[in-house]
Amino acid sequence: MSVEIQSLDPRVNRLGLHTHEPGSPDTLPPHDHWGTYQVFHQKKRGDRHTAVGIVHAPGPELAMAYAKEQFGRRGETANLWVVDTRHVMALDYIDQDMFATTPEKTYRDPGGYKVNDKIDAYREKMSHEHTP
Amino acid sequence: MNIPHKSFPIDDAHREPLRHLLTALADDHLILGHRHSEWTGLGPILEEDIAFSSIAQDQMGHALGFYSLLHEHLDAPDPDIHAFTRQETDFSCCQLVEWPIGDYDFSLTRHLFFDLAAGLRMETLSLSNFKPLAQLATKIRGEVKYHMFHAKTMVSQLGKSSDETARARMQTAINRQFGLALGMFEPRVGEQLLDEANIAPIESKWRDRWLEALNAVLDGTGLHIPDPERIEPVYGGRRGYHTEYLQPLLNEMTEVFRLDPQAEW
Amino acid sequence: MYGGGYIPKEETRKTVVNDDPDMLAAFEARVARGEKVEPRDWMPTEYRRQLIRMIEQHAHSEIIGALPEGTWITRAPGFRRKLALMAKVQDEVGHAQLLYSAAETLGKPREAMINDLINGKSKYSNVFNYPAKTWADVAVIGFLIDAAAIVNQVANSKGSYGPYCRALERICYEESFHLKQGHSVFVYLATGTPLQRSMLQDALNRWWKPIMHFFGPSDEMSEHTLTLMRWKVKMATNDDMRQQFLSLYVPKIQELGLSLPDAELRKDADSGKWLFGDPDWAEFFAVIRGNGPCNAERLAVRKAAEVNGAWVRKALQQADARYVTPLA
Repeated sequence: MSVEIQSLDPRVNRLGLHTHEPGSPDTLPPHDHWGTYQVFHQKKRGDRHTAVGIVHAPGPELAMAYAKEQFGRRGETANLWVVDTRHVMALDYIDQDMFATTPEKTYRDPGGYKVNDKIDAYREKMSHEHTP
Repeated sequence: MNIPHKSFPIDDAHREPLRHLLTALADDHLILGHRHSEWTGLGPILEEDIAFSSIAQDQMGHALGFYSLLHEHLDAPDPDIHAFTRQETDFSCCQLVEWPIGDYDFSLTRHLFFDLAAGLRMETLSLSNFKPLAQLATKIRGEVKYHMFHAKTMVSQLGKSSDETARARMQTAINRQFGLALGMFEPRVGEQLLDEANIAPIESKWRDRWLEALNAVLDGTGLHIPDPERIEPVYGGRRGYHTEYLQPLLNEMTEVFRLDPQAEW
Repeated sequence: MYGGGYIPKEETRKTVVNDDPDMLAAFEARVARGEKVEPRDWMPTEYRRQLIRMIEQHAHSEIIGALPEGTWITRAPGFRRKLALMAKVQDEVGHAQLLYSAAETLGKPREAMINDLINGKSKYSNVFNYPAKTWADVAVIGFLIDAAAIVNQVANSKGSYGPYCRALERICYEESFHLKQGHSVFVYLATGTPLQRSMLQDALNRWWKPIMHFFGPSDEMSEHTLTLMRWKVKMATNDDMRQQFLSLYVPKIQELGLSLPDAELRKDADSGKWLFGDPDWAEFFAVIRGNGPCNAERLAVRKAAEVNGAWVRKALQQADARYVTPLA
């Protein structure tokens, strides 16, 4: 049985709503809330754009309109990108092992070339040779 | 409250016309901000709900800005008192902003009509010889640019939709409120004086630019405006004549405030 | 706003799935090391199911939580309060969006979650099934219920699922604005006219019971609960969170000379724990079953928003649209 709702919210009363039976058939068909766009936010000029989340939108223009308020309504924003989620290729985490040995490859890093001990030893040696 | 302000010098002849202009702008934004805020939490999809709530908040913020100018330069009371304690007949909002939110087609169309006008108004007012208004208008312009991006995108995509019902709904919403929208440009008392002093143009200039801009927005969307010559503009709001919808909204807006207007809330 | 610390028990438990023991061991080791679990990781079936349940109920609590306070949007007194309330209710909708997005990464589309909400299959925090009768209710909700939510959400933000933690990090930041604005309204009323003060005391009296219910009854320390804690899905016990809330906020209420409607409420000097009278758990369970003062209205309003917006969503839909699970 459906009865008209008397709300404390005047906005709701103006909608003239009725109660409904729980367990009624699904209201929303699949894909009713559109696809998703990945949002990239740049705080200041000079900063990188950072992935901040998604918005549901039917196309790029509305994705941008929505990203602006969902991810730019506080603080500073210089720029936004939105990208259809379907156009992003992502690695699977199971493939993280492809990177497992990378930190060990010290020949690629400045830290792999420490020569101060050589220099110190050389200076030590030289100072002894020059001492009468 | 009489706080001395560093007021911008205003020619005596311009005070009353300027008061009319600023009150019209302030009241329009205040009432439409309240109407738009009725969608917060009840919008058609979460993302749209959030975007439209920001637009509503901006309208309230703009109203506060205009009431503050009245307070600081034209001896009007504090913005809260001014906005929340006047009689209905002292309001000079146009009737367009008073109407209930209706369905989303109505609210979106009103948003397009209003913000298109607001954008044009802020563009000209940012060059106003009344510098405090020029500064405020410049500040507001960026926000209205977003409103227009949102309104244009929504209305044109709904207009171009493959869904026939949606197209019909949008066209009906345009037809229904077109006369009300023309009412935004009801001539103001003393508008000629402000125009001559390069403070603000007469309303008919804004209306002509608005019609041109509106045709450009709707071009290619399949939506169109009715012939403006055949539609009677709904005037009266600027002179305190309002729809049956304004008083109940004012009662609601002021319900808590009126419990004790002297109290701090 | 609202974590709604308590996740009600399921009426029927699904059959236990036997996950690959090696994968399970690797998963548990990762969580134990303090590493985050990410969307396309292998995860135990039960972990995924419980997370979806928890995050979607949190999301539902946000979107339904927009309604009691929304009651006062058109009536908020003055520009400052009006703007603050609109921004706050907007944030609740924004939080729902962030949380649904986090839950979507686990494979449940947003439509399915919203269907479960409006069909009554999925729950949300009980506290939103109570009415916001006066402006003072906005103060109590904004201050105390947001405060309770922060206790819960700060705990959950240290959990194991990356997307949920990231959403909570931002949510907690925005909640701190809610708490401040709620406290501001609360203090203005408490230190205002006799009428304002009595409105506030009345609201506090009405909301205290739902606030005590907020974190749920004491946990049963079952095997299941322990597993969820080991997986860092459940981060603190209901009692611990309630104690933390009472310690932080009862003094802030009492310093304003307001009273709480529980004669037995006091801090025990020996144990340092708060003692309180029976918060009426029978009512708590009745509300969960749908018999609270506002359950029917809340669901009807949410359903109406979805139904009334359907034509907009349908008309904007692109012909080639296809849903894929969002990345993060």
